[in-house]
Amino acid sequence: MRTLRMLALGTLAHVKQMSRSSFEVTIALVVPIVQATLAVYLFRAGHERHALLQAAVGAGLMGVWSSVLFGSGGAIQNQRWQGTLEMIMLVPRRPVLVILPITVATGLTGTYALLATLAWGRLLYGIRLDFVHPVGFVVAAVVCIVALGMFGLLLASTFVLMRNANALTNTLEYPIWLVSGMLVPITVLPAWTGPIAAVLPTTWGARALREATTGGPVWPSVTVCLGISLLCLAVGSISLTYVERRARAAATLALA
Amino acid sequence: MAIGGVLAYRALFNWTRPAIFVGTLLVGPLFQLLFFAYLGRQLQVADDRFYVVGNAVLAATLAGVFGGTLAVGNERRYGTLGHVLLSPRSRTAVFLGRALPYAGNGVLIAVVTMTVGATLLGLRFPVGAIPGLLLAMAVGSLACAFFGLTLGALGLRFRDVWVVSNVAVALLLLLTGVNVPSTALPGWMVKIGEFLPITHAASAARDLAAGHGLAAAAPALGREALVGLGYAILAAVLLKVFETESRRTASLETL
Repeated sequence: MRTLRMLALGTLAHVKQMSRSSFEVTIALVVPIVQATLAVYLFRAGHERHALLQAAVGAGLMGVWSSVLFGSGGAIQNQRWQGTLEMIMLVPRRPVLVILPITVATGLTGTYALLATLAWGRLLYGIRLDFVHPVGFVVAAVVCIVALGMFGLLLASTFVLMRNANALTNTLEYPIWLVSGMLVPITVLPAWTGPIAAVLPTTWGARALREATTGGPVWPSVTVCLGISLLCLAVGSISLTYVERRARAAATLALA
Repeated sequence: MAIGGVLAYRALFNWTRPAIFVGTLLVGPLFQLLFFAYLGRQLQVADDRFYVVGNAVLAATLAGVFGGTLAVGNERRYGTLGHVLLSPRSRTAVFLGRALPYAGNGVLIAVVTMTVGATLLGLRFPVGAIPGLLLAMAVGSLACAFFGLTLGALGLRFRDVWVVSNVAVALLLLLTGVNVPSTALPGWMVKIGEFLPITHAASAARDLAAGHGLAAAAPALGREALVGLGYAILAAVLLKVFETESRRTASLETL
């Protein structure tokens, strides 16, 4: 119970901190709307006018991924730059419990992207929010955000080992959008991308949301998404513990 | 202008870490191209040529917009703006010179993106179109760099210029007609797009890639050059105005 409370309070604290950044807020407000507008006009121009809701959901999920990627990818580096990394690592709890709230917070702030694109589509383009499985959609969205937070933890723990992590962060946005099938169906991609897509939680999260929107078996996708994410959490936790011990031994925790 | 520009460029990209350059400026735009090409195929909005050419020209925006923005913004951030402005040379020459390497960089990125993208998607372009395509990329990149410098000038007045440049890059994706054909966009968006860099360069590049020749692409290239010139003048004016204002209020290096 104390651990859950710590995770909840930590997440709340980091959401509050992110909401104080004019850069984070403006980017989170504007970019998903631009992407949703682009998706709507593309789908209208094509022969998929009936799939506008799907386009809005896909564009929203793209925004969630961007938030997690840039937020979690830089989670540890940002703490380092702020001079708070040593303090949070001194907390007598496992490193995963300290960093997980940051990555879940990036997923939570990314929720805005999903809500904003749906609201934008409804108000401006008259897209009817007729989800085939409304309850399934809400559950899938919550699972997806938590799952992306856990995936973010794995990213954070991996990126901290890499000197040029920001190069990888800048590179990973479009590939994950593409391979996970957020807007482009996986079936039109080359066959070799299939195995990569299958191990990404984003693929199953996007699939769960799409099935809740247009119809299909939502729960198997939700379950697989959660399963892969828990695996990411476990690997990320081990990796973080290893990184922290190594950094303490080498006295490099605060060094970039 | 040239020496100052090259020195600033080297300082900006810190060549001891080429992974950052490759990851951000070469790999990122390539995946953007593939994303829209596959989406276009699925939606049957346009063919691969439309997306390969358009996104290759658009790839220059990253170097131009962010480079131009940082050319001014980083001077302020690192506390060197005062030294630059103490120089007895013309401000216009100092700062507009910064745009040249970014434009060259933009051409490099556009060429790599187009070459790799076309190879991956199995596209071929007429050999005779290559000089014209390079010209379109060069004009587009230069216009982008001046556009970036205009945004960078805002960095003398506003604290967080990153917001402006990030939003600008996102808007260029939508308004330049690179990924959504202009016939499918509302009239007001098309109108705004006409005053933005890349719109006319992408249109010219598409004409050239279709084998229509330089004569057919010349009007669009001329319009792109005019847009670039307009932003160069605007950047020079804004830099002058904001410099004067910053000196008056003693806020030159206040972050």
